[in-house]
Amino acid sequence: MTPWLVAAIGLVPALGAAVIMCARGNAAARLAAVQLAGSIAVLLLVVLTFALDQPSSIDLALTLALLTLPATLLYALFLERWL
Amino acid sequence: MTGVAGIAVSVLLGLAVLAAWLACFALLRFRAALDRLHCSAFVNAAGGGFVAAAVLVQDRATDRSLKVLAILAILVLGSAALSHAVGRAILLRDGTGSS
Repeated sequence: MTPWLVAAIGLVPALGAAVIMCARGNAAARLAAVQLAGSIAVLLLVVLTFALDQPSSIDLALTLALLTLPATLLYALFLERWL
Repeated sequence: MTGVAGIAVSVLLGLAVLAAWLACFALLRFRAALDRLHCSAFVNAAGGGFVAAAVLVQDRATDRSLKVLAILAILVLGSAALSHAVGRAILLRDGTGSS
């Protein structure tokens, strides 16, 4: 078992805890938890790329990191105006 | 991968996982939404930095490691902008950010 795979397994419970926190508290607290879950998910995808030795799958992490920006901004806009 | 480089990769990945866990505990501990924003910023800066360092130690300068550096730049720079936007939204909505 490589250190990359061990790190990926170690990051999964942290991601699970962040996802659980997304369902608890008020809308603002949930948004903070969504941000944390997105950050951990990007790290997990990067680590999985090396754990599974699939160089092309690094694009998944890059895409998620890029898509997280407008997604969270939209969520913040909804929170500010309508939610 | 063996030797000093392998140990360095293991230590850096361990620190990244530790940073993620620390941020999760902080998310449980903090009550105010504005305080909770610091958790994701910490994971982006510390966790992303450790993972990028581990990638550079393992891969050196390859296409894949450059993409990881790009991801780190997006995470760190984007996190600052997102934290500002989200904090502003929380303040406009709740006034204090307390939950």
